[in-house]
Amino acid sequence: MNQQPPKNYLIESILVTIFCCMPFGIVGIVNAAQVNTKFEFGDYEGALKASKEAQKWMTWGIVSSLIIGLFYLVFVFTLGGLAMMGDF
Amino acid sequence: MLKKITWFAIIFGGLSLALFYFFINPNEVNYLPECPLYFTTGIYCPGCGSQRATHQLLNFNFFGVLQQNVLFFISLLILGYHLVVTGINAFLKKDFYNYMYHPKTPLVILTIIVIFWILRNIPYYPFNLLAPN
Repeated sequence: MNQQPPKNYLIESILVTIFCCMPFGIVGIVNAAQVNTKFEFGDYEGALKASKEAQKWMTWGIVSSLIIGLFYLVFVFTLGGLAMMGDF
Repeated sequence: MLKKITWFAIIFGGLSLALFYFFINPNEVNYLPECPLYFTTGIYCPGCGSQRATHQLLNFNFFGVLQQNVLFFISLLILGYHLVVTGINAFLKKDFYNYMYHPKTPLVILTIIVIFWILRNIPYYPFNLLAPN
């Protein structure tokens, strides 16, 4: 057994937790835990599955942060524009 | 080609964000987004204070980072550890064990996050030191 463990996305999940979307990050960390324990017990398939899951949640965390940021920008610029025109 | 564009976008976006948070102190302006959880419920999440902490970090004020979010500082240390170990293993062809792949590490980190989350919401000294300001 000199196989490499599948990537567990632990660091990425921590960063997602802190910078944006705590729920996604927490799920990512739980999946990272499964990657490590399953690999430790020799369940490579299960570890790979958990790795894919962790990657999915990390991606959703990043995508949702981008969407929220975009909506926020639109919101701020709309309000600013309205205020500038004196309608608000 | 598409990959190049993606990398360019990531680097350009990262640099402009870094410049923005270097010059703008989130405490002094009111147009930056607030944490959705804090905005709706008044409860600090584990990541609250990260924008202010980023500003302090980019200005090399490490005590300021600790004041805003202790977890931000811890995660910086973890990120540094991970980068150093993987970097040494990749470039110097070594095989050091990376504790990020230890079965207990994610659970320890999860416990730290949850305990930190609870403690920073207690509005009394000394726990209120953990809350961002």
